[in-house]
Amino acid sequence: MIQGGFKKKSKPNSEIPSSSLADMAFLLLIFFMVSTTFPKEQPRRLAFPEAEQTKKVDEPRKNFLHVYLEKDGSVFINDRLVPMQDVSAVVAPLYEETDRKLVISLRADRDVPYRWVDMVQKELQEARAVRVTFYTNLEQRVTRERR
Amino acid sequence: MAIFKKKARVSGEIPTASMADIAFLLLIFFLVTTVFDEEKGLSIVLPEPQEEVQVSQKNVLHLVVRPDGLVDVKRGESPSIQTAAPADVETIWRTEFAQNPNLIAAVRTHPDAAYRNMIAVLDQLHKAGADKISLQILE
Repeated sequence: MIQGGFKKKSKPNSEIPSSSLADMAFLLLIFFMVSTTFPKEQPRRLAFPEAEQTKKVDEPRKNFLHVYLEKDGSVFINDRLVPMQDVSAVVAPLYEETDRKLVISLRADRDVPYRWVDMVQKELQEARAVRVTFYTNLEQRVTRERR
Repeated sequence: MAIFKKKARVSGEIPTASMADIAFLLLIFFLVTTVFDEEKGLSIVLPEPQEEVQVSQKNVLHLVVRPDGLVDVKRGESPSIQTAAPADVETIWRTEFAQNPNLIAAVRTHPDAAYRNMIAVLDQLHKAGADKISLQILE
């Protein structure tokens, strides 16, 4: 110890310590697992219409309400089947809860007859939730682009 | 005898050298497979209830969406009806809007017309930069 003390000090370990690497990786993994929020509702598999002008809506996630409209005219809000005439009664309290900042994401099937869409719109108007986004997928026009 | 003794002495520890690789592999796997539900679409603001605005007929461009997906275009007071494909609505709006900057697009959809036909027209109007759009049902 006394003899070789200086010699030992001048020869540092040339490797990066990798024993804590696993801890770091797991920490990251757990951090992302905990901080990820999942949508609280079951996704409904509908064929959404396509539009070229599809734009991302800049609004906090908590202000969104998804209103699903299926081909047969049935409306789903928060995983529950809501009869058409009750839509405004369901939406109105949610509208007040979000300080009137509620944005409706109307997710209707592309083939649903327009009569149902119109009924939903009238119900939303009645609930005063007038900010509506028609959920669409971005239309890819590869063949027509830049002619 | 000594050879047998050496073989019987196994390391009692779980090898931890590859633990970091496993953890990073998991991390990258979840990073790649996570899809976020994006809020996107065509935004409009519906009129408030009981908000009736009287508009002069000459400031209205009537677009009637038929069940077959075609659009009947009627300009203001003129009685003539032009049938167009949804893709032509952008050009029609641009030419009409150049003549009348107060123009309002009145999209009236047949009750049996598919939702996507209305979206196609709305898409074209958004593309043409129309901001005064009225959505109604054809009665």
